[in-house]
Parts: sequence; C-alpha cells; structure tokens
Amino acid sequence: MLFFPQARATGNDIIDVEMHGKDDGAHVWFDPAGIHVEPGQTVRWTNRDPGNSHTVTSYHPDVFDRPLRIPANAKPWNSDYLLPGQSFSVTLTVPGVYDYYCVPHEHAGMVGRIVVGTPQPVAPSAVDPSLTPLPDVALNGFPPVDEIIAKGIVRRV
Amino acid sequence: MKMVSAALALMLAGTWPTLAQEVAKAPPPGAFKAVSSLVKLPDFLPGMGQLFVDPATLPAGPFLAYDHDGKLVSTIYMLPIKDLNPNKRFDDLASPGGNVDHVSVYYNAGHPGVEEPHVHVVLWHVAKADEARVAK
Repeated sequence: MLFFPQARATGNDIIDVEMHGKDDGAHVWFDPAGIHVEPGQTVRWTNRDPGNSHTVTSYHPDVFDRPLRIPANAKPWNSDYLLPGQSFSVTLTVPGVYDYYCVPHEHAGMVGRIVVGTPQPVAPSAVDPSLTPLPDVALNGFPPVDEIIAKGIVRRV
Repeated sequence: MKMVSAALALMLAGTWPTLAQEVAKAPPPGAFKAVSSLVKLPDFLPGMGQLFVDPATLPAGPFLAYDHDGKLVSTIYMLPIKDLNPNKRFDDLASPGGNVDHVSVYYNAGHPGVEEPHVHVVLWHVAKADEARVAK
C-alpha cells in the first residue's frame, strides 16, 4: 500500500474512486482505497475494469446482515453490480469512518474506507452473532484512519 | 424401426453431428445459457470471450467460451479455492469442446456467478497464438 500526499478535497467537489482489475481477474481493487473528505461531499465510484462487474456496498446490518462499520446515524448504501463504465455516487453528511466492500470480491480483499471530517473515536460494540463477520483478508485491507487523515488519500498500486 | 434405420444411415454417412460439432458455434445447444443473461457481467469478457454455461453445473462449469465470430476457443472450469481440499472432488466434468491444444490454470478473485476466489482451468481448443481472438 502506498501513500500519496494530497490535500483533502473541499467544498462541493466530487471525489472519484475507481474500480480496477487485472486482465485475468487475479487482482481487484478500489483506487484510492482510502480517502478523507469533508461532510457533505459526494464520492463517485466508477467501474474501470473492462472484464468484471463490481459493487460498492457499505457494511451495515440492513445490507446483507453485515456488521455496522459506518456511523450509526448514517444511511447505508449498495450500488448493486456496476458494469464497465457505470458509476454510483453517495453524499456523506455524517462525520465518521465508512467502510465498504465489493460483494463478489470481499474475499479477495476488495474493500475501501472513507473518513468524513474528523471523527471522534468510537468504542467497539459487542459482536452480534447473527451478522456475517468480515473475513481476515477484508479486515486487513482497510487503510488506517490516522494515515488517511494524514495523507488525504491512500492508494494501492 | 424406421427411426433407428435413419439414425444408423446418418451415422454411416458421417453426417451425425458430434458433441464437439454441436458446440463449435455459439450459441451452444441444450441447457447452455449466455452467462451475461444469468448474471450482471459484460457479454464479452476480455481474455475469455463470450461465455455460456448450463446453470445446473455452477460453479465448476464447463463454461464454453467463444470469440467475436462465435467460434469456440476454450472450455473453462471455475473451481472455488475453498473446495480444493481433502474432502472435495470434481469428477466427471463434461468436456464437450473436442480437441485440446493446451491448458492454462490461473487464480481469479471472483465475479458475479462465482463470487469467491477460484481457479480457472482453461482447455484451449485453439493454438496459443489464437488466444488473441478473445484478448479484447
């Protein structure tokens, strides 16, 4: 994982995140994997992988019974499958940390993280056994919050 | 009796289509469906081509892959990594495509239809140089 210093976007900028994959489908990723934005900014994901479909899906109990990994009062989202060239956007108004994944590629580590504003630390909540936990490869794929805030974006190359 | 005689006559005349002949051109007959009609994927996948599969055979397949002219180029099996263990076997997978020129085996991170890391086992029915027919 590489870090490229960049001031976070301000105002009403749309922040772009692309979905990529190797030609043979052996490796897939969000680029950047981590971004820092201001409350009220819009993030737009676009599938730039010519040979695959991807989703951008927030971790939330209301979406496929997954653990809550976005602010408690934020609205969850699921783009459904995006074909090559298709886009999906979300405007994030609630400060906090938002973790998301690609449905068919979570087990390949295709996850991303958005930090909105300067979030306060949140105490870990109890694990709900009725929810499907994240695989280790996904848990290991999130860029650290501190690094995202310090660098603005975190990119995998 | 007449039907049996007719079939025998066709076979003797060499006009009875073999399985390989039946699937040589897209779309293949029977239960095969275009993968893009079953799940949200591009109709033509760079590196593989236009894929058809019998949904009853998922996830392993065989998937039949065709070039832009509808000619069969490969038969692909998709084997989930988690199923490659001492307690699981893949036996008697159909191979309707006929002669095999060479084989490729590689890891795939997943895609709609086989939504987990898996291995592609590709039986190429064309020469190495002709893989370019499905490159883009």
